[in-house]
Amino acid sequence: MTTTETDILDVRAAAHRQKRRRQIAYVLYLILGIILSLLMWQLVAAPFSPLFYLVPPPFDAFRHFGENLMFSERMLERYVHACPDLLDELEVAGGGMFDLPDHCFGYIRHLMRTTRNIMIAVTLGTVFGLTVGLSSLVFPRIADVVTPIAGFFGTTPIFIAAPFFVIWFGIEYPLMTTVGVVVFYTTLLMYFFSRRAADNIEVGIIESALTLGGDRRSIFRWVYLPGTIPEIAGGFRIALAGAWGLGTLVEVLGIQMGGGFLIRMWSFAMGLLEGPAAVVSLILFFGVLAVVVDGILVLFIRYITRWSESGRKLGL
Amino acid sequence: MSTVVNFENLWCVFEHRSGQLVHALEDVNFRVDPGEFVCVVGRSGHGKTTLLRVLAGLQPPTAGAVKLGETAVSGPGSDRAMVFQQDTVFPWLHVKENVEFGLRANKLPEDERNEITDYWLQAVGLEEFADSWPRELSGGMRKRVALASAMAVGSDVVLMDEPFGSLDYFTRRNLHEVLLNLWFETKKTIFFVTHDIEEALILADRVILLAEGKLVDDIAVTLPRPRNEDVRATPEAVGIFKLILAHLGITEEEATQA
Repeated sequence: MTTTETDILDVRAAAHRQKRRRQIAYVLYLILGIILSLLMWQLVAAPFSPLFYLVPPPFDAFRHFGENLMFSERMLERYVHACPDLLDELEVAGGGMFDLPDHCFGYIRHLMRTTRNIMIAVTLGTVFGLTVGLSSLVFPRIADVVTPIAGFFGTTPIFIAAPFFVIWFGIEYPLMTTVGVVVFYTTLLMYFFSRRAADNIEVGIIESALTLGGDRRSIFRWVYLPGTIPEIAGGFRIALAGAWGLGTLVEVLGIQMGGGFLIRMWSFAMGLLEGPAAVVSLILFFGVLAVVVDGILVLFIRYITRWSESGRKLGL
Repeated sequence: MSTVVNFENLWCVFEHRSGQLVHALEDVNFRVDPGEFVCVVGRSGHGKTTLLRVLAGLQPPTAGAVKLGETAVSGPGSDRAMVFQQDTVFPWLHVKENVEFGLRANKLPEDERNEITDYWLQAVGLEEFADSWPRELSGGMRKRVALASAMAVGSDVVLMDEPFGSLDYFTRRNLHEVLLNLWFETKKTIFFVTHDIEEALILADRVILLAEGKLVDDIAVTLPRPRNEDVRATPEAVGIFKLILAHLGITEEEATQA
């Protein structure tokens, strides 16, 4: 019996079908997981549940979010605006707070502000952390100086450092405070991940590069840079996932802007019917946002680490 | 190819954690002429790899020197490319880029790089896999990539530290053939570390025997090539085999069991 081209095509088609089935199963299980979570949530929020007064039903949370996203009656009642240039807006409106345009009172501006701050902070922290971490591979003296300092700050729990930033920069400078905390956390994390990634490159690979004539520059460019990508990418996912929670937490601590501020505002109204629904809907927003951003990131990481088995398997 | 390699009163001593001194190499002296295929044979932990690492410049000697011509080895360089026991192919580079690495590091122009890389890929039979990732290749094919990378860099001396030790018998035999063909063609000086006496008899012009860090014998292998099973069964081959066993302190029974 010989293998013909038709046989090969059959095998390829079967492999393709198998992959497709795996992908469909993945999506189906994902949907099933979401449905089960919603059912459990509904059960916890049912009138017979002891958490009935604290946990709103899913539908209430979604409805609240939808109703308050662009314009929130509740914020207007409390004179809580979301316009960074309030004086300009008031001048244009020509009157008082009630004359401000609708967008000044919606959740959207707050949520976008938090998202923007976190993105800026994670980007800056990643650039700082990687610059120092990767430079220390070329100039080991940098590591001698930086590692003890980073080690000292790295052992300080970020939830202790966060209030310090709020006190230091004050609530008048929300950008500095939120961005400062997240940059601090991301820089440390990315520094440690880049160092660890470099340490995990096998000595044999570096020695092989040396015996092939590699110098410091070529080994950095062709060995360290690509070889550390999977671990650095993993560190970046962790940093970003932590940054959503951390950035929001800093806003909860006292900033007058952002998603964390909205959560704080509603936490004072937990006794009201709408309070729990508002808080849960806002937490849910950040959860979903984090998952979506992480999903996009996974696809990107999968592409840039397609040379590695784990990179190939990442994602679907 | 004109580089003579001289090992002159070479000592390599390590301090164990307990404070005890371990003599990995003790006063090793020998000379290798250009184009020779030398197998370094010995038991595990008797200094074979240390000898090769000192020659590669990856391990400084405690005393003595290794000289390439008149120049003492003081660090690694592309004039002594090395193929390692473990998998050292860069997984993040395509097969072609792997072979190209040394040429790129030595700043060869792109046209020249491409020409040399294509030649060596063809020489090891991997031209069809130039754009593959190493993870898509078998263990034997990855060894061919490592071999092509070491050959392509253009060094006179190639060092090989038990490169085929982890491969199955058939792949190993196949790679012996590939290596010998490349050696016949290029006449590079090859240092090949192995603990497999049969492998040494298939490949070597000379067998350097190390025991407890000392050079105990330097045996010329003058068997005709190719050294197939018939050649290795001749009285001369069996004699060399037994001599090596005796030097290593291995009885024939032990060798049969192994």
